[in-house]
Amino acid sequence: MTGFRRYLQTVWAIFRKDVQVEWRGRQGVPVMLVFSLLVVFLFNFALQLSPQLQSGLASGLLWVTLAFAATLGLNRSAALERENDALNGLMLAPVDRSAIFFGKTLSNLASTLLVAFILMPTISLFFGQNLLKPALFLVVILGTGAYTCLGTILSALSIQSRTRDVLLPVLLYPLALPILIAASEASRGILSGQTLGELQNWLYLLLACGILFTATGLLLFETILEE
Amino acid sequence: MPNKPLLLRVLDILSIILIPAALVLILFFTPEEATMGAVQKVFYFHVASAWAGMLSFVVAAGAGIGYLTTRDFKWDWLSLSAVEVGVVFGLVAIASGMIWAKPIWNVWWVWDPRLTTTAIMELLYLTYFILRSGLNTMETRARLAAVYAIISVITVPLTFLSIRLFRTIHPVVIAPTGSADFNMSPRMLVAFFASLVVFTILLADLIWNRYRLAALQAKINQGGN
Repeated sequence: MTGFRRYLQTVWAIFRKDVQVEWRGRQGVPVMLVFSLLVVFLFNFALQLSPQLQSGLASGLLWVTLAFAATLGLNRSAALERENDALNGLMLAPVDRSAIFFGKTLSNLASTLLVAFILMPTISLFFGQNLLKPALFLVVILGTGAYTCLGTILSALSIQSRTRDVLLPVLLYPLALPILIAASEASRGILSGQTLGELQNWLYLLLACGILFTATGLLLFETILEE
Repeated sequence: MPNKPLLLRVLDILSIILIPAALVLILFFTPEEATMGAVQKVFYFHVASAWAGMLSFVVAAGAGIGYLTTRDFKWDWLSLSAVEVGVVFGLVAIASGMIWAKPIWNVWWVWDPRLTTTAIMELLYLTYFILRSGLNTMETRARLAAVYAIISVITVPLTFLSIRLFRTIHPVVIAPTGSADFNMSPRMLVAFFASLVVFTILLADLIWNRYRLAALQAKINQGGN
């Protein structure tokens, strides 16, 4: 029991460290936020959206934008550990490596969710469709949870590469495909008035992705970080 | 480098003989499909190469687990060989599917979930090479490539599960009885399973040959003796 408490304390310490760094530097979330708003506006030009099309595209827009913005945050959070060899410091700490994984995942999830919760009313405002529905919040939490979980694993992989700045999206997008498919289908269903019961297959799939990637991180994070 | 093992020679010869044999079987032994006509015959090699591609990605992940548990580079060579050969089979599956789609669907490509996810899976395994090329030491390269091969094999079934939830226009071959999209005659079944077996032999042969190449490369890099 005390072992588990210590483990949770480690997770919390890493999460707190990341939040503190972000709060003092403010280098991650604002960039993600401005970037995602830019994507929203660029989409409008690039696709020449007519008002009827706009409302149908809201869920797809939300997920593409979130996927892009989260990559920025994940890259930033991984780069943070590389600067001044902070990663070596973390690895020297006599703690379970999977605790590092959970701490980093939580902080990445927090920043992505923050962006998502600002993005949702923004898209509602500019695209004339109400995204502020409780069911959609559930899908966003499940989807970004699974996505940041996978993203954290892969960012630990990509920072060890020479091409680290560009590698993460290439690794992440194809592997995140089931998450993105399920999340955007579930969101589309909710926005077109379906109930959660009708969409349960997609929700189960999201949940399954989340559980699988958590287990993967738990098992493989140690191997990824060893030197 | 020792000479080619006898079994590998046998596999080489078998592949050389059996691929044309399967082709003869498909072209002259199977009947023409009632509605699609001769173009349906692409199906045999199409499914067989898709199968070989999938199988080799599973082999790559298995070899990844092998590397992570034993830390023997031989497993890494096997994993790399399997991904490389698998990507080629994947491309063959996509290309042959397009050849079938043009007369049947009247377009080379449809944005159907099954086709799109297969194409993305192909990109996923191309990324495997990008990942490897950016890693400096042999040890890191082998370790992270193994991790990536394992994670990939976890996601691919999830993706295929997700597209089962969509309605797809891609014919479903392996389906619960009674809902089959098209029924194969006994002769078609013979040719179908023969193609699967032949492609599995070809897959084993190619992976093994590629593995020997990787072993040779490693020997040269070490200064050779």
